[in-house]
Order: sequence, then structure tokens, then C-alpha cells
Amino acid sequence: MVENNLETAKETAVTDPSIHVIEAPRYSCALAGVYGTVLGLYDAVPLLHSGAGCGVGQLFGLLYGGGQNAGGDFGGTATPCSCLVEEHVIFGGENKLGNLVDSSIDLLNAELFVVISGCVPSLIGDDVDAVVGEFKDKAPVLHINAPGFKANSYEGYELFFEGLADQLLTEKPVKKGKVNILGVVPYQHIFWKGELKAIKDLLASIEIDANIIFTEYDTLEKLNDIPAAEYNVVVSPWNGHRAAKKLEDKFGTPFISFPGVPVGPKQTSEFLRELSKALNTYSDKVEKVIGKEERRSYRLLEYPGDAIILVRPHSYFAVAADSSTAVSLTKFLTNEIGYLPDIIQITDNPPEEFREAIVREITENLETGYSPDIIFEVDSHKIRENFKDRPFLFLFGSSLEGPIAMSDFGALSVTVAFPSYNRMVLVDNYVGYDGGARLVEHVVTTFAGPL
Amino acid sequence: MSKRKQIAIYGKGGIGKSTTTSNLSAALSDLNYSVMQIGCDPKNDSTTTLRKGKPIPTVMDTVRSGSNKLDNLVFEGYNGVHCVEAGGPEPGVGCAGRGIIAAIELLDNNGIIDDIDPDIVIYDVLGDVVCGGFAIPIRQGIAEQVYTVTSSDYMAIYAVNNLFKGILKYSGSGGALLGGIIGNSISKISQKEMITDFSEKTETNVIEFVPRSSTVTKCELDGVTTIEGAPDSEQAEVYRQLARNVINNKDSYIPKPFEAQDLADWAASWINNLLKEEKIEHDGIRSGSGEGI
Repeated sequence: MVENNLETAKETAVTDPSIHVIEAPRYSCALAGVYGTVLGLYDAVPLLHSGAGCGVGQLFGLLYGGGQNAGGDFGGTATPCSCLVEEHVIFGGENKLGNLVDSSIDLLNAELFVVISGCVPSLIGDDVDAVVGEFKDKAPVLHINAPGFKANSYEGYELFFEGLADQLLTEKPVKKGKVNILGVVPYQHIFWKGELKAIKDLLASIEIDANIIFTEYDTLEKLNDIPAAEYNVVVSPWNGHRAAKKLEDKFGTPFISFPGVPVGPKQTSEFLRELSKALNTYSDKVEKVIGKEERRSYRLLEYPGDAIILVRPHSYFAVAADSSTAVSLTKFLTNEIGYLPDIIQITDNPPEEFREAIVREITENLETGYSPDIIFEVDSHKIRENFKDRPFLFLFGSSLEGPIAMSDFGALSVTVAFPSYNRMVLVDNYVGYDGGARLVEHVVTTFAGPL
Repeated sequence: MSKRKQIAIYGKGGIGKSTTTSNLSAALSDLNYSVMQIGCDPKNDSTTTLRKGKPIPTVMDTVRSGSNKLDNLVFEGYNGVHCVEAGGPEPGVGCAGRGIIAAIELLDNNGIIDDIDPDIVIYDVLGDVVCGGFAIPIRQGIAEQVYTVTSSDYMAIYAVNNLFKGILKYSGSGGALLGGIIGNSISKISQKEMITDFSEKTETNVIEFVPRSSTVTKCELDGVTTIEGAPDSEQAEVYRQLARNVINNKDSYIPKPFEAQDLADWAASWINNLLKEEKIEHDGIRSGSGEGI
């Protein structure tokens, strides 16, 4: 019995990075996840009920890391915060929060206010729901309980949608051909802004109306419209799944999930076909769009042909990225460019139950006889160790690997994942027919020239 | 006294901790020691019987008001006992444990105890050691001896056992060690035996047994300690003896607490004994304790 317990404890220590020391994990805490998610909504104000350092820490840790972006109108140092100090720890921070919500609603021209409770109020048991409840008549205001120790920033995204569904959304008549896009986590997925717009434009081409929720104005209307969707479309192997499940339970909206955002012609055509079939809108018209786009994009991919085939043909490559990015890029580089996947390190700590599907998605969908090593790892030291003495010539990772890719691994690198301190990302992304071509641009640029 | 004696008194809520502590402080002051009693409980009622039932402003009240005036934290009580209440939040809000930490830090960092320079400082600490905050008085550099008040109730002994775990934890890093157990509300021989057996099993000692007494209750209702309200009573003598024992007690123990299941098994056998004794009493046969109300 005792031995069994020890066995279990040992296994947990190996598989759960949250309970042993790690170097530079590529995500932050639950509060950070909700914070980034709310900042992704235009005209929504995050109100941090926390110490002052939580917001400033996330400015550097999450926002700058998410493609060197600031936080917009209500992000960074412009974020209202209850700035809890010892007095509030002892006596409770409810009064200060009440004043903060009240004055924020008066002063800020916004559509939605989201109170995010961090570690301190959760530990001392502030009744934040009661405080927030007093302002429901004055403005749309939500409370998301997100003590940092409870979950990571990817899960913070789910916490936001769960709270939204419970506190704001009401049932709506379903609009045919309308879908919500879930699973692109603002800031954690560094191409989030460009990816969402690209998906929206793609789906518009086959007359599907995508509510991408983030990066657009009329936020409250977009949020309230979530229950009106015919389908929730999840474009990640695990992010957005809990949110979609919640919306299914609450409003009966079915969801369809894809293992990542569609990158390049093959994945994009499959995405359009599958989704239109689910929505019963698949037709010759969809095939016509696909045919036209494939023809155009494959013609475009002729241009880098010489650079790839004459200079770096069939190169081994390595990946260190979140699940969604890792799956999509690996498939594109292998299946459409003819590169060889050497080692794929998944850095976003997906829950155990999703891991097998992630591995299968990579191994079973590669059009090559070569099968990569797939490792789930969040410790940056171990990630570096795992990359040593491998044959890869290209490394698709984060700014934690970029600067040392050549010296330590002899590889050229492209930053494609969090943290991205060495690459600013505004509209760049690899989604869709042109997305694949854009990735090729970035790959070839690493070795082309200089004269 | 050459060196200041600093002790902490712990025990389950409602067990008679503040009553015992206040009587101990009063008795020590009668023995001509300069005593400071610091109540570490957000209810701030530790020192009321030393102050004729009148509550005093707390350290946390001062923190909350934002006042920098630190000269109104210590109040004089019976026979010059220096009374301090740490205070804390209203029930159900905030973090009382952090309140205790902040209050003790404030007293310490501002030299308030050193300025008064009492011979003995007694920390009267709330209930169980529920979190790190309530363990502060037993951590390095504050109290050096801990006494624990308990009755023969299982839950009271359970709380003592938890306290022992806390003492054991900090014992390696210069924390306080156990001075002894104070058995309270004793009316039967078997209750004494049970507490004595617990002390033996945990390799500690009982420093005094305090019998159950209506004199204590009466004095409390009058807002005074037994030492002040009934100085000639037998009970007052018990507290004076306790005071002498505490002064003379130079021993400190690292207790050996029970594991939870072992404690339950141990208690089960004793509770059967106590029930049997009660039954005998109920059937008209006097128990042999000779003590009682």
C-alpha cells in the first residue's frame, strides 16, 4: 500500500511540471490568461483585483512576450487595479474593489468590465461576486475568479468563457451559417490577431460568417451573439475545448474541432471542406473556391522552389511550440515543402487526456516515411538539452531558442511561438492559402543572401 | 530577571486559554514580575478580565486607521500588567493569520516591547495552529517556550497534537520548544490520567492541572481575573502555583506528536474509560477523584 502510494507520487512528479522546479515555462498564470483574453476584446476593460505587480508582471511576461505587443487602450500601465497591500490582506479588499469598479465605470468609455481576482482575494476569501453584483445595473460587468496558482494562462482563456457563459450570455435564436472561432488564445498564440482575421476572411469566401470575438469593435454585440452560432469551431487540439463544451452544455451549440489553425493549401482546403460539410453548405461553389485558391497558391510556391531545392532541400527541422502551432507547422513543412521533422517539442503542457491525440495528429498525417520524436516539455533547460546533437538545420521555436539556435544547435531559426521577444507580430500569421507561402518567405529569408 | 522570558500559550478555542493566561499574568504580577500579555486573536478579548471587562483598541485598529501614533497600543491592566491586543478583521473577511504577523512585526520593528522592557511576555494565541500566521509566535526569535491549555476532550487534545506538529516543524530552526501542558477544567481523576498519559506518550510534561471551578466563571462575569476577584480562593492559589511553576520551569521539550490515526486509537481507549466512570457516577457511586465543582 505504502509502496503503491510512493509509486504514484513519483509518477506525478515526473509528469506534472506544476509541482517541480522548471526553467522559463512558456506560459504564465490563470490571472494572466484571463487578462490577455480580455485585452484581446476591443473596448473591454480588465480590472485586476490583485497586487500591483500582477499587471505589471504580465505586461512584461505575457504582452511583450506575445510578439512584443503592448496592451492597447486598457492594458499595461493603463489597467485599473485594486493594488492590494497588507491592510487589504488582513481586513479584506472588498471596499477598495467596490470603489475601483465604481470609478472605472464612471471614467472609462468601454463596453464591458471584467473583474479578475488574483491570488490575494482568493486566499483571503473576498466575496467578489457580491461586490461585482452591485454594479450589474450600471454596466456590463463580469467576475472571473483566477487565482494565479490555480491554473496556467491557457486555462485562463477557458475560465473567461466559462464565466462569460454563466454571467452574461443568454440563449439566442440560431443564425444559419454563423460560427464562433475558439482556441486562438490572445498573446499566448503570438499570431492571434492575424490568424483570427485570416480565418474570418477564409470562411467569408465560402459564405460562412465567423464571429472571431477578438480584435474587432462592437465587442458586447459580438459576445452576446456567441449563443446564436450554428457551430463553435475550435482550431486547437486543446485550447478552447472547455469553452466549447461549456457553450454546448449551456446553449446546445455543437462544436467541431481542428487540430490547429490551417496552414498552407492542404490544411486550408481540408478545413473548408470539413466545416462546410458540418454546416451542410458544402457544394460545387466551395470546391470552386478551393480549386481557384489552390491553383493560385501553388503557382506562388513555384517562386521559392529554386531556393529550397537548390540550397536547403529536404532539411531536417525541429519545433518548440505550443500544440496548435507545432501540429500545423510540422504538417505544412513536411507535407508541402518536403522537409523532414526531426524533433517536435510541445511546450504548452496540454492536459494528459489530449496528448495522445496530439501525437497521433502529427504522426498519422505526415506524408513521409520519417517519424519525428515528439516530446512534451515545458522546462527550457530540458528543451535545450533535448535539441543537442540532432541533425536539424531549421528550428521553429521561440525567442528562448532563436538567439542560440546557430551557436548551440547549428540551426537557422524562425520565431513562431511564445515567447516572442525577438519578433514583433501585428498582422503576420501562417493561416490559409497565403499563410504557407508566408512561412516559406520566412524560412528562405534565414539563409538567402546577403548579396 | 536577567533575561526576558517570552512564552506563548496555545489551545483549542473555548478551552479556557485566555482565562488561564490572564490569571497567570495577574499571578505573575503579584509575584512582582513586570508582565506584558499580548492577545493574538482577532476577537481581541484576551486581556478584558485584566481591564475590568473593558476592551482596548487593537494594534490592527491602529494599522487600519493609517495612524503613525504607536504610543496607544499598550494599556495598563490589573497590578500594572501591560495589555496588548493584536486584533484583526471582522469574522468572515480578510486574513486573521496575516493580521497576527503584521501586529507582531509592528511591535517588534518599533521596539515597543523593548521600550517597556517587561520581565515576561505572554502571547495568548487563537485556537489551533491553522496557518503560518498563528505559528509566528513559535517561530525563531519570538517566544521561546510554549504552553498549551487542554481539557480531556478529544478535540482539545487533537488541537494540542497539531500544535506539537507545529513545534516539531520549527524546532530545527530555532523555534520555540514546549514548556508544558496545562490541564484545564479537571473534575475527575481519569481526566488527569488521560492528559498525563498523553504527555507521556508524546514525551512532554504537565506543568499544572487547573480544576473546573465556578469561582472562575463568577469572576469572569464580574470582568475580573480570579486572582483579582477571589484572591483568597483555592482556585487563585492554583493559578499562583502555575505562575511559580512557569517561572521555575527551565525545561523545554521537542514533542513527539501522534500520527492522526494513532491519536484516534489512543483516544478511543480513554474515552471508554471516561464513559465508564460517568456511568458509575450516574448510578450513584462516587468516583474517587474527590475533586469537582
